[in-house]
Amino acid sequence: MTSKCKASSRTAILLDVNDNVATLLEDLAEGGQAVAEIGDATVNVRLREGVCFGHKIAVRPIREGEDVIKYGLPIGKALSDIEAGAWVHVHNCRSARYGFRQEKYGVHA
Amino acid sequence: MPTEKLPEILGYRRPDGHIGIRNHVAIIYTTNCSKVVASSLHDRFPVGTQLFGYPEGCSYRDAPVEKIVAMAQHTSYAAVLVVGLGCEGTDACDLARRIEESGQTAESVTIQREGGDLRTIERGSRILASLLQQASLARREPIPVSDLVVGAECGGSDATSGLVANPLVGRVADRLIDEGGTYMHTEPHELMGCDDVLAARAVDESVARDARAAIEEAERESFEAGLFHIGFGNTEGGLTTIEEKSYGCLAKSGSRPLRGVLRGYGRPPVGGYYLQVAPPGSQTYYGDSEDISQFAACGAHLAFFTTGCGATTGGLLPVIKVMANPGRMDLIRDNVDFDATPITRGERTLDEMADELYAEMIAVAAGKLTKSEIYRHFEA
Repeated sequence: MTSKCKASSRTAILLDVNDNVATLLEDLAEGGQAVAEIGDATVNVRLREGVCFGHKIAVRPIREGEDVIKYGLPIGKALSDIEAGAWVHVHNCRSARYGFRQEKYGVHA
Repeated sequence: MPTEKLPEILGYRRPDGHIGIRNHVAIIYTTNCSKVVASSLHDRFPVGTQLFGYPEGCSYRDAPVEKIVAMAQHTSYAAVLVVGLGCEGTDACDLARRIEESGQTAESVTIQREGGDLRTIERGSRILASLLQQASLARREPIPVSDLVVGAECGGSDATSGLVANPLVGRVADRLIDEGGTYMHTEPHELMGCDDVLAARAVDESVARDARAAIEEAERESFEAGLFHIGFGNTEGGLTTIEEKSYGCLAKSGSRPLRGVLRGYGRPPVGGYYLQVAPPGSQTYYGDSEDISQFAACGAHLAFFTTGCGATTGGLLPVIKVMANPGRMDLIRDNVDFDATPITRGERTLDEMADELYAEMIAVAAGKLTKSEIYRHFEA
């Protein structure tokens, strides 16, 4: 089964039009292109570093303290300014609820 | 392959006014002590029957019995045969009478009354033969999609579940709900961090409170049992926060308003999206198939089941297995109904493939057998 257009050119997936991160569908090296479509929009971002399958990259600049959005929902807050094409993970994003959970249950959540 | 014209939904009209998409006869044991006889009957008449029952001995507990009654009244069953021993708390004749209250056809046999296994099997066989013959007279008729009730489960999940398979199923959910259909999932313990999101989707303040309470309960139980945290494997796989992991699970709910939290049984009165929460102590089985039984008790006709690793279990409902992991798909294709790997490979989009999965759901509702049915994965 092949699509009408751009077969195999998509290297990332966006789950909602408001997402500021995309998830890679394959391992990409620094300088690789993360290409994803959502609705009528296509996002094409050049990677600033090598990022693995299943990991996220910023599709536009995200400011420190801003929500990181996936599924159209906030998955956490940016711990620092993140440039488009940069890897987004535990080093620069943290659950906004982390402190609340830790206080409530005394566990790392 | 875009679908120009969807097949019509065809179902069996039942005495309660609703439709069934299958036409089985259920064999129900009331105690572990009658399970061997019930299983013998099931083995003797494997075509058109399903087996489930009360998972304990002498006891009678309301919660599992209520679930069994609701399951027995399910529209997939043209009739049921209850098989009891005679001295247990869950009396076979009483249970059959309760099941009949919905208009369902229910018969019973009791081993101590018939005189042992062999006589019970003989009499049970005659009853079953008659019920199966009667059931075979039912005919499918055209039914609006709005009458359809669908559940969604994920099991054997991996990175592709939250990323592709669940969002894909969620898109089908949105479309079903827009057509007036009913949709549900459960697993509140996998929705930690989703309380604000679900509450925001609730149709009113009371539903919002219910949703928060359901997640809060599950969260408390899980933390107290030391069951839940975001693990190293999750982090290595790319998941950054607990919310992200939970949203991947919630993605199979689609985006429509939350109509209610189901804590009891029976078909929800109006269409829309529901969170189902199993009543405490109601479980009669374990794992994902138990969730499928809970959906059945809430009137679901069929269920989506997304998997990344390749969970092969089914349940009493027709289960549509959806997989988006390309490597695993090659390995376990025999057990999968819908290949979502073109999305993972970047060849197709979620929206394109949602049309095909919707068409598959309609086909299954009209009678197309799923792999779990063909292989008789009727775990219950």
